[in-house]
Amino acid sequence: MADIAFLLIIFFMVTINFEVDKTQVFLPKTDIRLEIPKKAAYISITEAGQIRVSGGEEISVAVHQEDVLSFAADVVARDPSKAFVLKADSNVPYRYVDGVIDSLKQAKAQVIYLLSEQETVDSAAAEG
Amino acid sequence: MRFKKGTVNDEIPTASMADIAFLLIIYFMVTTTFAATRGIDFSLPQEEDSPLVDKEESVLIEIQPGGGLLVDNKSMQLDQILDYLKPKLERNPMKPVIIRSHEMAEYGYMVGVFDELRQAPDKIGIEIKNVSIPTQREIDMFWY
Repeated sequence: MADIAFLLIIFFMVTINFEVDKTQVFLPKTDIRLEIPKKAAYISITEAGQIRVSGGEEISVAVHQEDVLSFAADVVARDPSKAFVLKADSNVPYRYVDGVIDSLKQAKAQVIYLLSEQETVDSAAAEG
Repeated sequence: MRFKKGTVNDEIPTASMADIAFLLIIYFMVTTTFAATRGIDFSLPQEEDSPLVDKEESVLIEIQPGGGLLVDNKSMQLDQILDYLKPKLERNPMKPVIIRSHEMAEYGYMVGVFDELRQAPDKIGIEIKNVSIPTQREIDMFWY
């Protein structure tokens, strides 16, 4: 019994994935979904437009829209090829996302991953 | 006087091992969250490879609040966009496609349009190589 239990523990320890950002958002659904590189920097935007950022190693912190540029510039200065993950709520007004993308462009970020959930037949039908 | 000899147990007590192991399992099961770790990638233009897109030469997809789509000022459904683009892309595979969202349009619609464009190779057999998502600052600076 103990052997089996320890095997399960090892499984959980190996597969556990510490989320740097635990913001609860309703992600958009897409058919194309690529694996996001490990240690990517995270920027999350809630439906109310609140922004949290993480460089990929530490737990995310809340920031103002105007501080995203300095955050992104700092991340890019340390690693120019660092991928950014945009974890934005599907219902957030686009102007919040526009501000973040603009900051990433100004910071010379190379690639953004728009975090999404798998599009299913049910969800596609619900959207009409 | 006789002293009672103490017997030393030379085995490590393991009776509680299973209890500890199961407590650890429960801890990991409770704290493990299955994170969404997939998304749709979007390469940002770098200065060297970002030619100015000519508005007249491109296809403009405008996203309105509520999800309404205007493609070159014509109202269209999401699943009609690729059929509209196909003849244009056959003539010019480098045809720029610009996605412009209204500031109050929901972000999910923009992702939906971008996802549809990325599926062009599967749906119409042509890859859309030049998709541009200008920001409001860029529009203010370069739109003419």
